Amino acid sequence: MTVRKDIKVKDMSKGVEPLVELDPQDFMPLPDPYDKLEEQPGFKKLKESEKKDNVVNLDGVLIGGLPVPKSKEEEEKYVEAFIRGIKKLFTKEDNWTFLQPLVLSMEHCAQCQSCSDECPVYEGSGYQEIYRPTFRAEVLRKLYFKYGKPGNSLIRKFQHGDIEVNWALISRLYELSYRCTLCRRCAQACPISVDNGLISRELRKLFSQELGFYTRSLHEKGTVQHLQVGSSTGMNDLAVKDNIDFIDEDISERTGLNIKTPWDKSGADVLLIHNAGEIIAWPDNPGAFAVILEAAGISWTMSSEITGYDGVNYGLFYDDVQYARIYAKHIEIAKKLGVKWILMGECGHESKAMAAIGDRINSSIPRVPAVTFLKDIVFGGKIKFDPMKNNFPVTLHDPCNLVRSMGVVEPQREILRYLAPKFREMEPHGVRNYCCGGGSGFAIMQQYNFADWRIQISGRRKFKQILDAFANEDPSPDVPKYVCAPCSNCKGQIRDLFAFYGATQKSGIYYDGLVELIVNAMVDIKGPFIDFDNKM
Amino acid sequence: MLIVQILCYVAILVFLTASVSRIIKVAKMPVHLRWELYPVPHEKGRAHYGGSKLEENEWWKKEHKKDHLNEWKEMGTEIVFLKAVWEFNRSLWIGTFPFHFGLYMMITNMVLLFISGILQLSGNPVSNGSTGVLLYFYYLILDIAWVSSIIGVFGSVRLLFARIVDNGLRKFSSVSHYFNILFIGAIYLTVLLWLISGKEFVGTMSDFYASLISFSIPDIIPVIAVWHIIIAVLFIMYLPFTHMSHMYMKYFLYHYVRWEDGENIPGSTLSEKLGKQLAYPVSWSAAHIGADGKKNWGEVVTNIPEKM
Repeated sequence: MTVRKDIKVKDMSKGVEPLVELDPQDFMPLPDPYDKLEEQPGFKKLKESEKKDNVVNLDGVLIGGLPVPKSKEEEEKYVEAFIRGIKKLFTKEDNWTFLQPLVLSMEHCAQCQSCSDECPVYEGSGYQEIYRPTFRAEVLRKLYFKYGKPGNSLIRKFQHGDIEVNWALISRLYELSYRCTLCRRCAQACPISVDNGLISRELRKLFSQELGFYTRSLHEKGTVQHLQVGSSTGMNDLAVKDNIDFIDEDISERTGLNIKTPWDKSGADVLLIHNAGEIIAWPDNPGAFAVILEAAGISWTMSSEITGYDGVNYGLFYDDVQYARIYAKHIEIAKKLGVKWILMGECGHESKAMAAIGDRINSSIPRVPAVTFLKDIVFGGKIKFDPMKNNFPVTLHDPCNLVRSMGVVEPQREILRYLAPKFREMEPHGVRNYCCGGGSGFAIMQQYNFADWRIQISGRRKFKQILDAFANEDPSPDVPKYVCAPCSNCKGQIRDLFAFYGATQKSGIYYDGLVELIVNAMVDIKGPFIDFDNKM
Repeated sequence: MLIVQILCYVAILVFLTASVSRIIKVAKMPVHLRWELYPVPHEKGRAHYGGSKLEENEWWKKEHKKDHLNEWKEMGTEIVFLKAVWEFNRSLWIGTFPFHFGLYMMITNMVLLFISGILQLSGNPVSNGSTGVLLYFYYLILDIAWVSSIIGVFGSVRLLFARIVDNGLRKFSSVSHYFNILFIGAIYLTVLLWLISGKEFVGTMSDFYASLISFSIPDIIPVIAVWHIIIAVLFIMYLPFTHMSHMYMKYFLYHYVRWEDGENIPGSTLSEKLGKQLAYPVSWSAAHIGADGKKNWGEVVTNIPEKM
């Protein structure tokens, strides 16, 4: 048993060794046959070389990206920059974007801990103290009252306690800001409405915007590549067109329909922007979109302009400026094409970044989440369906960004109730869903041993929830069961969860999106679109 | 007694000044990017499952009326019954509900005693010798005092116990958390002791309120009453400077953040404010930002540095 209940917020500044050691024996138990640790690949320990080259002082897990200071002077330099960043985080000039919600969350938490048990990370870890939603929030709170809102130091210490700022604190806090999926279940449980998810995000932002501390996955390979090459996948315009051509051919052959994706069509009604990860990892998804749009007679196009063919916006998870740059490009491209509105692919954070958050940056073109649009098509009467083609057990994973942050809950359910006769809900679901564990960009992070953390800890609750949803079905792998996850990021995480635990081989549980189910139920396609035999 | 009376005036002044300035400071903060959290109760017909207008195709072409009544219903349930604590932290609710509800009852009694003071000045004293409605009024105040002080003391003890015994609560409690419970507990306890002692509560407090209203010197009151009044007014002065100001700042947490989904319609006041905010200078230091303290948000976003 290695769960340390004695750790306090103040310990963040003390020592150089990791505060906790993670042991899968402590993690939340899973049902049979997933409870046998000896049958699982285990939790990867960092190599000695990785420990030597990186600051490893939180939990033996690395998100990476921190330079190791070569001297005390360098450490001091980072401490100064960090304190400067704290101050900027609480000025209207540098942080008008989230100042009000952040200050309100800083000043009014009663430390009642009503949020703690709502956190799937805290629960999944077996209640490791450092993952409690209030833990990292309390560090920033102490810093806020010390540097962001200076007052009498005696009164401050009496009200909020004190904390020492040093390299140990900074480096641990940076890692800890990436142990929260920003799912905001904790905020829902707060009687005062303090938002610990926002606090994690703002911490990441401080590190990125002031110190240049960010993860390679979100920054260099994420937003930078997106803005400079065209997509966070690394695809340039030629590669994306090639890939879509290939998908069009494959889909045409499999469905018997003539599918040709239109590119850069000026004056089309709709600009479709996929999460480009779909094109690489789940080509059936953009293929299914094309089938539906063509069959419904929609005037649509995709853009081959840099940034315009990838709807992801990793800036949302760590950096306001990078976020705004990508969003501004999306809007600029849509305006240049003269489309009436933007259709977002099956991607939760893309939808939130454009439809909700982006609204206050530029609202000149409407942005529509896929499921909202799809519902109207499914019930519009232009396409004929045979729901019995989907006569296998189906459950729905709710992407946090879509439900909790946007209130898009029912359209996807209406479709499933109609097109999937064996649809059943997970519990809890809708706005009370559990995060897949790959939220806030975690699903794309594979570096060091972080994938083990997100699969075995942050995704644990979701995996159990999926198993529970099919608990009354024949557990045989020969009976296919389908998890519908209308979000690229979530699919990436669920893919890794299933691979790690062998869920497909052991229990016949598969995953994919919503459009695949819609196309599978279409009367006018030849053969089944979802082929469980080839999904293994 | 004059000192106690002066302290009351000072407390009211401090409370109002500190609270109003806190409210103004928060209310005047820049409009933030949207960060609502569903369910949002003003979503008519959708709030019960957490839906929003984004579920509707071409929502931008339709008018959406907000269900403000449901917002107040939600807020009221949350404030009065501490619904979220009931749902997510039942063992804490056993202490925190009576602790808070006792406070609401005491605030109600302050209003009733204020009215009683006015009645007294107008020659209609509220006492156990009154008749008709005034007698009912007397017993209403007295009963509220009994109930609030009993549940308040229970809640305080239960909360204090929880903060000491529960590992999760203890670790996140500063000195002030214990102090605050003891402080409020002392307000309840002094009322309870006063009532148990059999000394007149309603009449004494009505006299005191009448003297406050009329700026006249109050009569001598029992020692326990002096203790109660002093502790209560000190608390009133202290509250706006603590996290307990969530009592009224909760309005902003809910209405300005959690449920704030206002659309950015070109030409609207919101849009105008956002336009001004884009002109704020940016001074973040990381190289990829490309800020120099002079360039504004609009410029920083559109001028992407070559090296990020």
